[in-house]
Amino acid sequence: MNGFWVVLIAALRGFLRDRVLHALLGFALLLLVLAPVFSLFSMRQVQELSTTVALSAISLTLLVLAVMLGGFSVWRDVERRYTASVLGLPIPRSSYLLGKFAAVAVVLMSTSIFLGFVSLVSVHIAASFYPPDRSLDLMNFMAAIAACSLKYILLSAFALLFSSLSTSFFLPVFGSLAVYLAGGATQEVVEYVTGPSAQSLSNSLITTVKGLYYLLPNFAAFDLSFQAIYGIPLSVEGLLLTFGYFLVYTSLLLLLACYCLARREFP
Amino acid sequence: MKKLLALLFMVGLYVALVVPLGDHLRERPLNVKLGYTPDARLLKLVAGGQQTILAESMTLKVIFYFGTVIEHWIQQEFVQPEYFNMFKTIEAAAILDPYNMDTYYFAQAAFTWELGRAKDVNRLLEHGMKYRDWDESLPFYAGFNSAYFLQDYDSAAKYMQKAAEVSGNSMYTNLAARFFYEAGDSRMGVAFLETMIRQAKNPQVKRLYEMRRDVLLAVQTLETGVADFAERFGKQPTELEQLVVRGLIAELPLDPYGGQFFLDDKGRVRTTSKFTEKLAVEPDKGE
Repeated sequence: MNGFWVVLIAALRGFLRDRVLHALLGFALLLLVLAPVFSLFSMRQVQELSTTVALSAISLTLLVLAVMLGGFSVWRDVERRYTASVLGLPIPRSSYLLGKFAAVAVVLMSTSIFLGFVSLVSVHIAASFYPPDRSLDLMNFMAAIAACSLKYILLSAFALLFSSLSTSFFLPVFGSLAVYLAGGATQEVVEYVTGPSAQSLSNSLITTVKGLYYLLPNFAAFDLSFQAIYGIPLSVEGLLLTFGYFLVYTSLLLLLACYCLARREFP
Repeated sequence: MKKLLALLFMVGLYVALVVPLGDHLRERPLNVKLGYTPDARLLKLVAGGQQTILAESMTLKVIFYFGTVIEHWIQQEFVQPEYFNMFKTIEAAAILDPYNMDTYYFAQAAFTWELGRAKDVNRLLEHGMKYRDWDESLPFYAGFNSAYFLQDYDSAAKYMQKAAEVSGNSMYTNLAARFFYEAGDSRMGVAFLETMIRQAKNPQVKRLYEMRRDVLLAVQTLETGVADFAERFGKQPTELEQLVVRGLIAELPLDPYGGQFFLDDKGRVRTTSKFTEKLAVEPDKGE
């Protein structure tokens, strides 16, 4: 078994034993179980509200997991000097980092599949209280959850990149949160500065915003919540472009993270 | 033992505080309950992919707030709601999630009758129609608002036509014909309110629609009585009580909002309950 798999399995075992992770999943499950109750507050769209609550609960859970697992996993190993023993073995540093990333990605995907299944049950219970005009589009719902998982896997790659650079957990945790917020806003901001209502803005500001738009991740592409909640048709072209974007952007981040970790000196 | 006593003491202290705190919060001013809503464009930037739940929570906040106002109205106690703040919040919610039906339904329920913001509501409904292109309710509401509040029958016909096309249901064109036939008549309002009552799920909103319908029915009864009086005696009655004395109606109907019906100088039926004047007898003509 090569180093990548060794690290992946060891990291997965560590994550599964993590009590914070258990508590987080418990909280998410509680939210999903309560979603049909929350949705009764709606006047005209009970099923849609339960879908909204379910997708938000999944999204928030994956956000915390991506930041926590991605930001803490390498930093904790360095802090506890585990890296000294692990990297003393004939395992390349890149395998160590990619193994960690794969473990985080597996946890994020498994969590979204599990919570997605619970959400489906929850939405169906809500819909039985007040039959909707349009039933839930299962394909759109699954696509929204899959896109959400990809978004947070990409974010966890950012957290690992920051982990490979930083000596404390501040940069991995708060840096990832900043990237999350910025990535959610880039599309809106660039549409504003290139729109007719921003003609008074200077060219240098517009150029800077455009530069940041291409540099920062664009999380708007991964947001399929409207399609899932209201059954709006999905664009196959958009899905393929988003998936391609995810693969290329994540690979670039991981390459950069491997490069940084390879040059880092450990205590 | 000491620990148990300390625990019991703290629990007792908590109960002693939490009850008056709850009472205090229930009594706080309504505008404090609704609070301030930041600009929707700013909210969109910081929502971080949570804009659908944010929009729904904003709409629910306004619904709950308006629910407390309706409770006061049901108890015949006039409370002026923060309409501006409510509409701003609802507009922001519609920008964050333009598909959310709760937002449009609530705007139609709360901002047309008492406030007379039919033009603004139709603007919001137009915004919704661009997104909810499968939903006949939005053009139906807009069509009613155009005909009843704004007396803009061309727009009303277009909206009703759209509702009929979207739903494939000719009921909307029939309704449109009825609305136009009864243009300016309280019967048009009653027909619309009956439709809304059948569709209402929220008990407070349903009650509000029922109160409005009851006012319109009462006005309708009195207007018919006044017309009968004029026809039979060749002059207008000076007081509504004359309708009872002359046997044209059995008794004066009650205003569900707690007011008293009376005839004004021009012989029109009015009510003393301030907030139903516009609703009951003088549909808004738009701005």
